[in-house]
Formats: sequence, C-alpha cells, structure tokens
Amino acid sequence: MHENYRELIWTLAKTDFKLRYHGSVLGYVWAILKPLLMFLILNFVFSSIFNPKNSGIQHYSLQLLTSIMLFNFFSEGTNAGLASLIQKSTLVTKIYVPRWTIIVAATLNSLLIFLMNLIVIALFFTWYQFWPGALPIATFCYYIFLTYLVILGFSFVAAPFFVRFRDLTQIWEVVTAAMFYASPIVYPLSILPEQYHQIILANPIAYIIHFTKMALTENHYAPWWQNLLFTGAVVVFFAAGILVYRKMEAKIAENI
Amino acid sequence: MNNENNVAIAVNNLSKTFKIPHNRISTLRGAFVSAFKNKAYEKFKALDKVSFEVKKGEFFGIIGRNGSGKSTLLKLLASIYTPDTGRIKINGRVSPFLELGIGFNPELSGRDNIYLNATVLGLTRKQIEEKFAKIVAFSELERFIDQKIKNYSSGMQVRLAFSVAIHANRDILLMDEVLAVGDTNFQQKCLEEFNKYRKQGRTVILVTHDMGTVQRHCDRALLLRNGKVVLIGNPLKAVEKYVNQNMSDEENRIEKNSENTENNNSAAEPPSAPVSAGKTTNPRPKKAAKITRVTFLDKNGKPKNVFGTGEDIIAKIHYQSNKKILKPVVGIAIYTQGGIHLTGPNTRTSHHLIDKMEGKGSLDFVIKNNPFYSGTYALTVALYDWECVHPYDIKDRAYQFKIFSKEENQLGTIKLNHLWKN
Repeated sequence: MHENYRELIWTLAKTDFKLRYHGSVLGYVWAILKPLLMFLILNFVFSSIFNPKNSGIQHYSLQLLTSIMLFNFFSEGTNAGLASLIQKSTLVTKIYVPRWTIIVAATLNSLLIFLMNLIVIALFFTWYQFWPGALPIATFCYYIFLTYLVILGFSFVAAPFFVRFRDLTQIWEVVTAAMFYASPIVYPLSILPEQYHQIILANPIAYIIHFTKMALTENHYAPWWQNLLFTGAVVVFFAAGILVYRKMEAKIAENI
Repeated sequence: MNNENNVAIAVNNLSKTFKIPHNRISTLRGAFVSAFKNKAYEKFKALDKVSFEVKKGEFFGIIGRNGSGKSTLLKLLASIYTPDTGRIKINGRVSPFLELGIGFNPELSGRDNIYLNATVLGLTRKQIEEKFAKIVAFSELERFIDQKIKNYSSGMQVRLAFSVAIHANRDILLMDEVLAVGDTNFQQKCLEEFNKYRKQGRTVILVTHDMGTVQRHCDRALLLRNGKVVLIGNPLKAVEKYVNQNMSDEENRIEKNSENTENNNSAAEPPSAPVSAGKTTNPRPKKAAKITRVTFLDKNGKPKNVFGTGEDIIAKIHYQSNKKILKPVVGIAIYTQGGIHLTGPNTRTSHHLIDKMEGKGSLDFVIKNNPFYSGTYALTVALYDWECVHPYDIKDRAYQFKIFSKEENQLGTIKLNHLWKN
C-alpha cells in the first residue's frame, strides 16, 4: 500500500523531533544536557566517595559517561517506542498506516539523539587524550546496533500492549530504574563476586554496557563464541517481538 | 473477466462485532484482579453480513441512522479495523477522509501538516513538493499556511484536510460526514471535485445525513439499519425508505413518551407536566371545564404523531365539563419550535358555533393538506367562554406533532401553493 515506507518513517520521526524540540537548538541542547548532567553528578559523587583508581580502574569517568549515554539511549528508546501508538493515536484510528512505521519512527528519535551524544563522548575522550583503536570503536558500533535491536524488539511488543494496559509505563519506569542499578554503570563488574557475574550479564543491557566499557578503555573483549550467542539471543528476541506484534496488530485501532 | 475490472470495492458477507466489557479494564493490575472474576461484557454487532459492490467511477452514498454501522463500515474499508467474518476486496488505493484532519498535529503549521498528511496518504516528498502550491490554492489558505493548525477554525481545517486528500492521487475516496462543516461554497467545490474524480474513473464513497446531496448527486446508495443492509440501489428510493423508517421511529418514541406523561397526568391534577416545554396556566381555582386530552389522527382516524407535508392532520380535542356551559369557544394556536406563532383560529372566528358543553365530549380540529415543512410544532388548546375573556382551561403548547418532509427543497417553514408567471 505504501511505496514510501522509508519516507513515511522519516517524516514521522522528523515531525516528532520538531515537536519535541520546537525546531530550536536550545531544545536539542537540553536533550544532551540530561545525560551529561547525570554524568557530572554521578562522577563527582563516586569519585569523592571512593577513588576508582584505588580499585584499579583507569578511566572511570570515560566509562561512566559511555555507560550513562548507552543506558539513556535504551531508556529513552524503549519509553518512546512504548508510548508511540497512543501518542499517535489519531494516525492509528483515522487512516491506515502500518503501525510498525509509527513504532520505528518513535525509536529513531532516540537513536538520533544518541548519535548526537556520541559527539559529546568523542569530545570527552579527546579531553582526556585517550584514543581507542579501530577494533574497540568497531565493537562499540556493533553493540550500539544490538542495543537498537533490543529497543525495537521490545517496542514492537510493548506498544500494542500499552494500548491495552495503560499502566505499562509505570511498570516500565520501575523496571528501568532497577536495570540501572543492576547494570555495571556506576560500578565496575569486577566489584561484584565472581558467581554473580553471569547473572548480571544475563541482562542484555548490562552485557552491552560492560563489554563496551571494557572494549573502549581496556581493550578487553568477550570470547567470540559468547558474543555470537549473545547476538543470537538478541536476534531471537527481535524476531519474537515482530511475531507478537503481528498477532496484536489487528486489534490495535479498536483498543485505543 | 471484464466484470472484475469494473469493480472498485467488493464487500462479501462482512460482519463485525465489538465486545464491550461492562468494566473496561485498562491496567495490568486490573487484569490480574479480574482474572478471577467473571468478566461481564456485551457483544455489540456493528455489522451483520453486509454485502455490496461499488463500481469504478461511481458516486456511492451510504445513509442510515446514527449507530447503524456506517462509520464502522468505512473504517473496515480503510483497513483500520479488520473484519470478523467476510471479505473486502479493494481494487485500487484508498484515500480516507474520515474526520477533520487525519493526523493533523495542532502544534505544527499548516505547511508541516500538509507534508505529514500527504506522506501518510502515500505521496513521496517530490510529489508533495510538486503539488504543494495546488493544495494550498485549493484550500484558499495561502495567508495562513505557516500558522499552527490549532489557530485554524474547523472550517479551515476541513478545507486543508480535504485539499490534501483530493490531491493524494488515489483511486477511491472515502468521506465520512465531514462536508457538513464547510460553507456552501466549499461544499460546491467538493461536489465539483467529486465530479472530476468520476470522470477520471475514480470512485467516491460518501457517508452523509444530507438527503438532498444523496438524491441529487449519488449514482447509487446503500441504506444501513442496525448493521444490516436494507436497500442498495436507486438513491431516491433509498432516501424515501430512510425517511419512512425515521418517521415510524419517531412515532414510537413519541408514543412512548406520551404514555409516560399520560400516566403522570392521570395520577394528579394539574399543574402537571405537559409533553413539551409549555406551561399550563390555571386561571380559575375551581375548574368548571377542562381539556382532558388531545390526540393527533390521520385522515382515516388512526392515531399518528408524525406527518408528511401535505397530509391531513386531525387534532381530536377531548374535554370534560363539570357544569353546563353555553356557547363555549375552543381555540388553538400553532407554534414553531422557535416559538413563532404561525396561526391561531378559534371556533368563534371560524364561525363554528358550539351550543353547549356538558360532561365529556370531543371536538376535531382538521387541517387539510398541511403546508408545514420538516420540524417539530407545538399546539396550544384553550377553552373560553363566549366573550373570550375568562379561560376555563389553557393548555399552552402542551401538544407536539412532527412533520417529516420528503420535499427536496425546504425553504422556510411552510409550503405555499404558488405559480410563477411571466
């Protein structure tokens, strides 16, 4: 029905962007400011409470910044995807638009913001005069891609569910808050006893954040088979998301 | 097959039922709690085995009362809902115009909304840029195109939305009662566009309550009632059937109402509640005589509350007099719903002498060939003595009758017998 899926998604995303930031530079600056401020506060707090260098952690600040930005991407992306169908409810109830384009467009917004945040990360790395090599950067990009897959997979399921159950946002808020502390963002994984590592790393975001940190700052990578397994898990999750979405798609308009 | 190519839309045995839960559960918490209770819900059958075809280039009207399933049908045709049973086959692309400004975002300018709306309707960016000037020109909103939509009036929004829908290059146009918002110039423009559409072999489906448009412009029409197809075909026949159904529905409703108020009336003495918003004045503390009941009948004596223009109307006035009254005068007055006094003869001015009134009786007021156009009219009935100074009873605008007219052009309140002459 639409030859212009790509344009449709792009237009929807642009519209969202314009609406949220009123087409102003100040609006965009605020989008960056949020994770940045968080970083500054946490950096200050934890550097004062305990000196990371004593635990053998180099480049704590860089790790913290990257982790926060990544987690922020995940949090904003899933929240945007979750609420997208309700937010664009007029579009859903008055005309046929493939619902998935709405969901994808909503997550694109967060991706855009994150990509712009990368500039800030790059600036910080320059400030600290630390340059990761090609492999770490490639790994980083790869993990970013996987994060986006997780966000999309989640949104495909959450958005139709949210139409039906409106308290999903509150539940998800609590879950993301828990995930923040369950992931090695403000602390390194090494602080925890060995037997808990596997459990923590079962959380995909924790896995991504931990290995991104390690790759960028310590040139330490997960074994290739582990990465393969992880990728497989993410892909399966994504596919499952699409399947669930397919099942729920028909009733979306009625339930809004 | 040749036949296949002629058909724009083929609907076969379409049914759609909505489950309406008695308690709408909209939270996960609620779902957990109610999982252990019996979930009470109603099934509402919006459409029941609907089948019809629309040929390419037709101007197809869909009419029916509110709740008959028209909007549900359109949403199914636009793929917003999915059918429970039955099939919809659509040959070509659909441009729905179901409500004001599909996907219009009030915080964005008209320009941005055109881009958004047109993209949603399937145009590529290049196509939109090419057509932009034409879209704005058609909507006559050049001066306001960069203002936010929330500042537009509803008429402006319709013009913009319609302009985009028209230029979206699609084969089938679905319209749902939106044209009523525009002024007559706009409606004229729309009808011209529809005609252009048809000449290009494109199809227009219009849901409307404007019977005039259906009769004058539609090729064929579909009448829906309670989710079922009543009639498909000649638009004049469809409108006639629709009006007739409405008349009998009104009859039933008024009958039910007056049954209720009669029960109330007979229980207590006035001041009681009359059917309409009229007052009952009791000028004399002791009632020597009163008007007990007024019923409306057709020319065969059958009780009726809803008449067509030109029919005979008989108002049977029942009275009761507790003492012998010589030469009483009965008068009536007819008011429009807006309170305009149309006429008000009484038996004295009409030279119909009533000798006396004693006990119970009735008097008929006969209107032959009523000239009234569609509307609700109120009747006052009063009982006076011969000098018309002291009223025995006045039931001011206490009785209602309705006129449902099939006349095509109803200009004004009454239909006057007239001639034009050079």
